[in-house]
This record gives sequence, C-alpha cells and structure tokens, in this order.
Amino acid sequence: MKRTRILPAGAAVVAASLLLSGCGGTGADTASDTLNIATMTVPSSLDPVDATGSALPYFQAVYDTLIKRAPDGSYEPMLATEWSYNDDRTVLSLTLRDDVAFADGTALDADAVTANLLRFRDGGGTDSANLAGVTDVTAVDATHVDIVMDAPNPGLEFYLSDSAGLMANPAGFEDEDALKTTPDGTGPYRLDADGTVIGTKWVFDKNDEYWDSELPFDTVTISAFDNENAIVNGLKTGQIDTALLQSVDQQIAAEADTALTSTPTSFDFQGLFLFDRDGAVTPELGDVRVRQAINYALDRQTMLDQIMQGRGAVTSQVFGVNAPGYEESLDEAYPHDPAKAKELLAEAGYADGISLTLPRMAAIVSDPLASAIQTSLAEAGIELTWEDLDQATALQRIFSDREFSGTVLNIGQSSNDWIVIQSLILPGTFNMFGSTDPEVQSLVESIRSASADDAVTDVRALNEHIVEEAWFAPFYRVEHQLVTDAGVTAEPQSGLAVPSIYNYAPAK
Amino acid sequence: MLTFIARRIIAGVFLLFVISALSYVLLSLPGADVGRSLLGQSASAEAVAAKNQQLGLDRPVIVQYGDWLLHALRGDFGSSWFTSENVLTSISNRLPVTISVMAGVTIVTAVLSFLLGIWAAVRGGWIDRAVQIVSVVGYALPGFLITLILVIVFAVQLRWFPAIGYIDASVSLSGWLSTITLPIIALSIPAIAGVVQQVRGSVKDVLNRDYVRTLRARGLGPNRILFRHVMRNASAPALTVLGMQFVGLLGGAVIVEQIFGLPGIGSMTVSYTTRGDIPIIMGLIMFTVVGVILINLLIDVVIGWLNPKARIAS
Amino acid sequence: MFSRLLYGAQNTLGGAVIALAVALVIGIPTGLLAGYYGSWFDSVSSWVVNLVMALPAMVVLLASRAILGNTVWVLMIVMGVLVAPSFFRLVRGIVVTVRNELYVDAARVSGLRDWRIIGRHILIVVRGPIIVQISLVAGVAIGLQAGLEFLGIGSGSTPTWGAALNEAFQNIQRAPVLMVWPGVALGVTSAALVLFGSSVRDILEEGAGEPPRAVALPAEAPRDADSAPRGTLLSVRDLAVAYARDGGGEKEVVHGVSLDIDTGRILGLVGESGSGKSQTAFSVLGILPQGGRVSRGSITVGGTEIVGLPEKRHRGLRGRTIAYIPQEPMSNLDPSFTIGSQLVEPMRVTLGLGAAEARTKAIELLRMVEIADPERTFRSYPHQISGGMAQRVLIAGAMSCDPELVIADEPTTALDVTVQAEVLNLLRRLQSERGMGVLLVTHNLGVVADICDTVAVMEHGRIVETGTVAQVLTAPSHPYTQRLLASVLDESDVRPPWRDPSTEVTPA
Repeated sequence: MKRTRILPAGAAVVAASLLLSGCGGTGADTASDTLNIATMTVPSSLDPVDATGSALPYFQAVYDTLIKRAPDGSYEPMLATEWSYNDDRTVLSLTLRDDVAFADGTALDADAVTANLLRFRDGGGTDSANLAGVTDVTAVDATHVDIVMDAPNPGLEFYLSDSAGLMANPAGFEDEDALKTTPDGTGPYRLDADGTVIGTKWVFDKNDEYWDSELPFDTVTISAFDNENAIVNGLKTGQIDTALLQSVDQQIAAEADTALTSTPTSFDFQGLFLFDRDGAVTPELGDVRVRQAINYALDRQTMLDQIMQGRGAVTSQVFGVNAPGYEESLDEAYPHDPAKAKELLAEAGYADGISLTLPRMAAIVSDPLASAIQTSLAEAGIELTWEDLDQATALQRIFSDREFSGTVLNIGQSSNDWIVIQSLILPGTFNMFGSTDPEVQSLVESIRSASADDAVTDVRALNEHIVEEAWFAPFYRVEHQLVTDAGVTAEPQSGLAVPSIYNYAPAK
Repeated sequence: MLTFIARRIIAGVFLLFVISALSYVLLSLPGADVGRSLLGQSASAEAVAAKNQQLGLDRPVIVQYGDWLLHALRGDFGSSWFTSENVLTSISNRLPVTISVMAGVTIVTAVLSFLLGIWAAVRGGWIDRAVQIVSVVGYALPGFLITLILVIVFAVQLRWFPAIGYIDASVSLSGWLSTITLPIIALSIPAIAGVVQQVRGSVKDVLNRDYVRTLRARGLGPNRILFRHVMRNASAPALTVLGMQFVGLLGGAVIVEQIFGLPGIGSMTVSYTTRGDIPIIMGLIMFTVVGVILINLLIDVVIGWLNPKARIAS
Repeated sequence: MFSRLLYGAQNTLGGAVIALAVALVIGIPTGLLAGYYGSWFDSVSSWVVNLVMALPAMVVLLASRAILGNTVWVLMIVMGVLVAPSFFRLVRGIVVTVRNELYVDAARVSGLRDWRIIGRHILIVVRGPIIVQISLVAGVAIGLQAGLEFLGIGSGSTPTWGAALNEAFQNIQRAPVLMVWPGVALGVTSAALVLFGSSVRDILEEGAGEPPRAVALPAEAPRDADSAPRGTLLSVRDLAVAYARDGGGEKEVVHGVSLDIDTGRILGLVGESGSGKSQTAFSVLGILPQGGRVSRGSITVGGTEIVGLPEKRHRGLRGRTIAYIPQEPMSNLDPSFTIGSQLVEPMRVTLGLGAAEARTKAIELLRMVEIADPERTFRSYPHQISGGMAQRVLIAGAMSCDPELVIADEPTTALDVTVQAEVLNLLRRLQSERGMGVLLVTHNLGVVADICDTVAVMEHGRIVETGTVAQVLTAPSHPYTQRLLASVLDESDVRPPWRDPSTEVTPA
C-alpha cells in the first residue's frame, strides 16, 4: 500500500480541501477515460463456468466470446470468424481467428476452445445444462472446431455468444480456484487486482495487446451495491456513470434529475409459474380449468398500475416481444374476469373455491404485490396463503425439494425462441414436474430441427397452446431504465438485462 | 493489573472458541442447500451434490466445524462460497472502512457528549433542558432517516460531500475525510444522544457528592474541580455506556454503510449472512468478537485506572 | 393510513414490550446476584454476558430468523436476550460499588437477611438507572425494528411502523408525505419514552426534581445595628439563609443568626439536626448548596466583610483563612485520587507550592495528625484506610494552608467512640498549638463541654442561647437548652443512620 505524505496542514486546510474534493468529485470522476458502472449483481467468481445472466459484463471485460451478439441480437464474428451447421443441424463447425493469444503467450487455438467447451459441459454450472446435448468437441486443425450434438439445438449460437462462449486460458484449468480471482482471457480489459475489492468494486484496465480495436475507455469499474438508492445518489453526484434501475421509485428519482438520461428497456417478466400441472402437490391444479381460473382471476392492469406505476405491459404469455414466437394478441388472452374464474372453478368441481399455498421470497414478492395477488385470487374463491422463505433456503425448497405447486418469479425473456422453450417448456428447472403433452412434444420436435426462421409458425402454435393450457399465469413485462449521465451513452443489449461491455461510449 | 489483563485475555480466547462453535452450529442449522444456491435453480442434482462435496458440506456439522477450526488456528479462514474471495483478504479490505467510521464516531461522540453533558449538568436551567430535548430528538429519530436526510441535503443537493463510496486515507487524505464525514455524523447523532444523558446524570450525581463540597472548601476553583475531580469520577459509567454504544454501532454501521454504499464490514454482514456464506460469516464473527473483547478490556482498564475501587472489585 | 398506523402500533410497541420484558427478567436478577454475592456466580454470569455482548447482533438476528421463523416476535425475543447484558452490567456495576458501602454493611451487621438488603437497600439505588435504561432500550427496540425493515429483513408480513416507514421510503420520490406519519409516530414514541424515563428517575432520585436556582438578589443589610462588639476573628450578624422554592419565591431557613469568635477561641454551635447549624457554617465558607443564598446579614472574617464578596475573592479566603473539616470522613475524600494527591493539590493551588515541597509538607501534615505511616498513607486511596484515619487526613487537609478559622462540621459524629476522643484531642492540640479559632458544629454537648470556650444553641434556624460553656451548661436559661442537656445525660451517643448523599435534598 502506498504511503501518502501528510503535509503539516492545519485543520482549516484539511477542511477546505475536503469541501473542494466534495465539489470537484463530479468533474473528475466522469472524465471519459473511466467508465463507472453500478450494479446490484455480484458474480460468484470470475471463472467463466460461474458466469450467469446479468453478471456477464464482468466476464466480457476480461474474456472474449466465440460469437459476438450485437445489441439487436444478430450474431457477429469475434473469436470465431465463421460458423455453420451440417445438414441435420447436429454439428456446428467454427473457424477461429489465428492471431489471438492469452497474456502468457498461450494461443487461442482449436485445442483451447475444445478444452473450454468441454469444461463448460462438465463443469456443473448453468452451461452444463445448456450444453448437455453436446456429445463431442473436436479440434479439426488449429483454427477449426466441430461441436457435435446428439440432437439439433437451435440455442447453440446464442450460448456461444453468451456465457458458454467465454474463452479462458486452459493453462488455468489445472488449479480449480485459479480463475476465480485471477481471470485470464483475451478480452479488451484486464483485472486490476490492486484496485479491485472483490464483492464491492472491480477495476478493469485496458489490455494494450488487445487483438481487436480498443474499446473507448481506458478503465472500467463495476461497483456492486446492495440498494438502488445508493446507486441513484451516485448517479446524481456523478460518481457513477451508468446503471440499470429496476425499482420504479428509483427510476422516478433518476428521471427527476435532468442531467441523467433514462432509456427504457424490457427484459424481465413477472408471473406465477404453475409448476404442478399434474396435480402432484396441489391436486386441483391438475385441472386446466383451475389454472385458467387463476389466470382470469388476476387483475393484471390494476397490479401493474399500483405496483409498477403502470410501467411495463400486461401479458399472458411467456414469450417476450423480441422473440419471433411472440404473439401480440396473447397478451390479452386472459382478461380480468372473476365471474368466469368462478365458473371455471365450479365446472372443475370446486364451486366452494380452493386453497393454495405459495412460497414468498421477499426480494421478489413485495408486500403490495403479495396482497394484490391474494386479493385478486380471493375474489374468485381461491384462498392464497404465502409462506415466507428466506434467501438461503428458498431455491432448495422450491426447486430441489419441490415443496410447492408454483411460485412467483421474475425471469428474463430471451430473444431466442428455443431458449424460451428449453428453459420454460421442456422438462427442467422451470418445468420441474416434467409436464408435457403430445402437442407440445410434436411441436418441439419440429422446432428443434428447423432453422429459426422456418420454425416461427410452430413456435407461435406452441406459445398459444401453452397459454391455453395455462401452464403459467404471467402478470406483466417489467420496464427497467438504463440510466446514463451526460458523459456516457449506452445501448441496451438483446438477450441480456444489462448492456454488454461493448455497448458503452463517451457522449459526443 | 497485568494478571488481570492476562486473565481477561485467556477468558477471551475461551470465549472465542465457544462463540465460534456456537455460531457454526447455529449457522448450519437452517440446513440451506449451499450447492443449490450457488449453482442456481437450473443446475442438476448431481452437480449440486458434487458442489456440496467439493465444499465439504456432505460431512456432519461437527466435522465441518473441526475442519474449520483446525484451519482457522493456522490463520486460514478459507474462501467465500459465493464470491470466491479469501476471507482474510476480504475482511482486511473492508476493515479500514468500518474502523475509520467507528473510530470517528467514537471520538466525536466522546468529545461532544462529554462537553454537552457537563455543560447541561453544571449550568442546569434552560441549557440543561435544551440539551435534553435535542438529545431525545436525536435519539428518537430512526437512524436511517437521519442518514437519508444527510445524504439528500449535503451530498445530492449541496454536493459538499460524495454521496457514495469510500476513498482510503492512503490514496487521498481529503478524499478519505470527505467520504467518512457524513457516515460519522449520521452515526454520531444517536450515539451522542445516548451518551450525553449518561454523562449529564453522572456529573450531576458527582456534583452532589460531599467531597466536591470539601474540595470547594479547600479553595479549589470550579473548573479545576469539574475537570479534574468531577470528570474523573463521572467518567466510569459514561465510558461503560460509550463502550456499549461502540458495540451497538456495528448494527448501525450496517444501515449507514448500505445507504452510503460503503464497502465495510456492516454491509458485508448482511449480504453474506442472508446468503448463508458460512466461511465469511465465521470470519466476520471472529473479527467482531475479538474487537468487542478488546474494546471491553480497554474500557475496563481505563475504568480501573480512573476508579481505584473498581480495580479491587474486579 | 391512520388505521395502519394504529394497527402497526400494536405490533411495534408489543414487540418492544416483549424485548424489554425478556431483557429485564434476565438482566436484573442476575445482575443483582452477581453484584451482591460476587464469587463464582459473578464470574460465570459475567463471562456469559461477555459472550452475548461479543456476538454480532446482526448475525444473531439473521441466523435466529432463519432458524426460528420470520416474525417480529421472534426478532424481539432475541433482541431482548441481546440487550439483557446491558441491564446486567448496569445493575452489577452499581451493586458492586454499594455492596461495601457503610449502610449496606450496617444493614448486614444488624442481622438483615440478604434478600431484604437487596430488596430494600440495593434495589432502591439501582432503580433510577434501570428506569433510564428501560426507556433507552425501548427506543432502541423500536428503532431496530425500523432499521431491520429498511434492510428488508424485518417482520415478514406483520405490519409495523418500521414496515410502514420502509414502504414509504421506497416511495419517497412519489409520496414523501407517507414518510412523515410513521416517522413522527416512531420519533414521538421514543422521545416520550426517554422523557418519561428521565422524569420518573428524577422524581425517585431527587424528590421534587432539580433544585431551582438561587434568586439573584444582593443580601439585605443586617437589621439590628451593631449592638454588641464584634468578634475579632469571625462575626456573624443577623444572618438569614434562604432557598429558592420550586414555584418561585424563597423559603428562609436561618433567621437572623448572630455569633462571634475571637482569635484562638472555640465556639460550639449546638442544635439538633435541621436546626440550621450546618447552613450557618456553609454560609461562612460560602459553599451553600445550589439554590441557597445568604439573603440578609453580615459576616466578617478577620474584619473582612464576606457577604456580597465576589466568588473569586471568597475562594481566596477558603483554605487559606477559613478551613473546613466535614462530618462524614469517607464520603468527603475523592475516591479516585490518592490521599497524597488530595493533600498536595490544594496546597499547590492556594499556596503556589512546588510539587516536591508540597509533598514534604503533606507528609509532615500526616505525621502531625498522628498517622503512624505517613508515607504509606500518602500513597493510599481513600477506600484503603479506616474512617478514623480518613478524618485525620481531612483534618490534615484543613490545616494544610495554615488557616486562622476552622469550621468543623460534626467532626466526630461518624466515628467510633474510641476514635472520637482521639480526634477531639488532636483537634484541641492543633488549635492550641496554632492559635486557630474554631467554629465547632455539633449536637453533642459532651464535646462542647470538652473543648469549647463559648457555646451558641440553635433551634429552628435561630440562636436561642449564647454564653460561655460554663454558663450555658451549668445554668441553661432556654428550655430547649435544658432539654438538650437532659437528653445527653439520658442516653449514650449513637451513630446516626447513614444518609445517601445523592438522595439528600438540603443538608441539615
């Protein structure tokens, strides 16, 4: 640690400089050579196998992905210059750049890519599930890699442009913990270990040997906060350049400051996931009419108005507006109709109503939301009891122990149809009881083996079918605000809640 | 005196041991599936089991604790389950933040509450009442409300101080001062409010003592009596309260650090405890307990020095 | 809003009451026992208390919340356990200091059972601080709830003021007014608690509360002209002492006292407790308690008028010209300083002696008052010496600056009978060696007969009889003097009951 010489300054001088530094903080910190990003997401490590969702920018700073995903969702070359499928779409052939190396000189070649991909598949993280169908990865020659799958996976390109595309130096694979705190990639920045306080602030300095054109900032810092109030205060005082705000009130607070620019983005939707479509935990839910009744009972517009200040859009489908499978008319598939809900319950044989217990994670279901859902359902004769869960055991009780028949979640809406299908409709985490039916099966099979463009009709049919079967009771798509100060511009990123690290630029 | 300190330190070590065992068991009781929380909802059951095995969580709690203890005795507190950071490194990274703020609060509180308390006790009348009312108001306002008001007024509106963040004194002394000033004020207000009452009470009590009258009769001036005799006798109970305040500050630090986005021990405590990150929490507990033991020891030594009678009693 | 506030009050205050009850039930009895009996119980309980106090409260609260459930009640019970040590320490601390006080000792000697001593003598001493502590802890409990809510780890779905405040905080941009009411409710409640606590304490501890300040008026001139010749050393004429009353106005407690002492003579001022003897003595010294003042009359010492003398000049007389020997030896020595430093300090201040010189003189003085090992006594603290020795030290202190007039306020009353005689002999010897005048305040006519030249008898703030010792004791003219005399012959002198100096309103 560097020692600072303390000048024999009197208290008055110290006080004066203190005031000055307070005032001057605004100018100094927003200089265009440093980009200060604030976030509430903390990565569990900087090893790519631990990369997930909104933590991606931390990794993008240090690692490059095989395929780059442009802000609009289209795929562009990055470490891979070309890629193509074989005829039955079970082999993806990648052509790699031949001029990229890690800091220690190790070349980013076909062997390195193979090692990384296999590590993802076998590493136990989120990408293990995504790459589960990969049977083999073979290095054809130094710059060509084939990814072989047991069945077509239309999500593969997306994965390679996301966390599963992050390429780390295989030299670090020996030691299980090495990459966690000392990331080693070919990316535009390198972690400044001295300036970084893990858990609080990560400092990335420009990689002078970067193979591609440099990014516009010399230094990028990502600071993690526990609450958005601190973030907004930092934005207002110029200590933070940009952040994504989720809470409506903090969005309003930021909008009140004319020096800040807010860009609405939409990624998450919030809704009640009715996992128990076969009635294993709550037998009543095995009847489609009961699930439909829940959908009719929800007063989505009022909930949106009261809880989200009308920010966002009500919906009854799980596909987002950026996904080709999205069908606008399905947003209104279940208008608020308590009478109809009662009728459906009566038809299903529950004229006296049913009772339902759902888990509640305070971070997701706020007090007003909890009581709004309770009130809505009560009107239709569904008695809802919330069981408070704490953060440490919630995932386990809901997803491992499968104690509940459903839960309220916020989930990002991928722009890739297949990823929506795979994560929400196929058996898996969010279809934990493995619900399916012949129509789902046949639609999924045809979607899987077609190219994305050819599959659209089937995806929409599947979407409609799922809405009709009321597998979910979505509430609304949530609107977030991407806030930047006067010195920075940022572009929202398709398929990600926050912008990619490449999407920031100094304001002109 | 030395045997007293030695005895206290031995007791402290034993205390550390008991607390560590108690905490470890307590923290393991909820039976959270750490592997599941770490890998997320979409990881397979096998992956979760493998992760738990990797962390050693498949073993009985008592074995886990023994393992932790053996490593801790060698100074190895392990790494966070959730952010992979080394426990000692991450705590020592955050310690300066919390220590800066707490030391500042303790100094400000000690000085101001003694001055105000003595002033109120000696002058009585409306000054006494004013000090009492101000201290009651300061005490009654919820701490985070004070903090929020300070941020909005002095950081966001007036821009006198930064709203968030911490700058280490080794980087910039003025930056350091500017980042800790508002947190110190925020925490000092309720602390002063509490201690000033105690100082006022003890000073009033001592002023009524016979020996104060006798000292006056010997021709000593009021200031000499006040600052030499009254203050020394009134300090012991006030210091006890100050010590308790210091321990209580750890709680207050949590809220203040969150609002100011300070990377300190307080904000760390909440986020890691809610996640159930046992290595970090154990490290935090050990640090706080050592801190509290030292503070209590220090206060007892000072009180013993101030009050020879208590020296004998302890 | 209002109804929510009321409903919240129930939970908020109820929670605080639970926390308090738990803390009191655990803290006070253990504190009393540990402080009173000491030994192993003290060691064990102090150790446990250190354990609890060393635990980081936040972690305990969070952990217990995960284990025991997420309700405001659980939090408050845990909170009660966590704050119980503060009561324990408070009570134990006070009990340890009073355990060895004379009155407790006396109660023990007189055969009272321990639990009665604890109940009657000790509980009374600790109740004031406990009441203050209760109000503080209640405030903390209420504030803590709010803080926990703010962190989002509060009461689950139980409505409390903290929850309301937190919700309002989330909406601070939209409706800042919402924050006012729960904030005010919290603030007012805690403030009321603290004020209530300190006023109850004041009532218990100080009777009618704080004594009002003395009326700032110059003393009236003595009413009777100088009829008799004035004493050469001390002359008091028509002295009236008045105390300010609570509701304004004054109450006169000494009504026109006149007395004279010639150089080198001893005047006995005799009367029962409350007759105004001490008030007269304090008037001469200029150390009347707060609220009291000389309202009329004249006091000359060696010809200097001291009524209306500026405090600074009066202080110059104290110690050097007029010295004071108090009644209760132990309570008149500062427990925090050694005997030596208490002797040295006034000599250095009033006589301007150097440290070494003052030390030599202090040891000389200790030898002069017949203390066997002056060096050792010099180094001792007051609690290490006996009452008789302490009185010798106080006499030495009074002699230290060679006064002309000594005011001895019942100098032997608190001492054992055998020691009384020794101290009296010492006084007489010093008086004759140094030719000092002495105003001896006493209720003991035996003492008067022993050493006084003249005697003045006081009753109800008036001198009822003066004369030489021979005159007054052999031929008392006033019925009160006759009664006093008769009572001396009837009963032996017993030590009066000890009075707690802190509960004393106005000294007798």
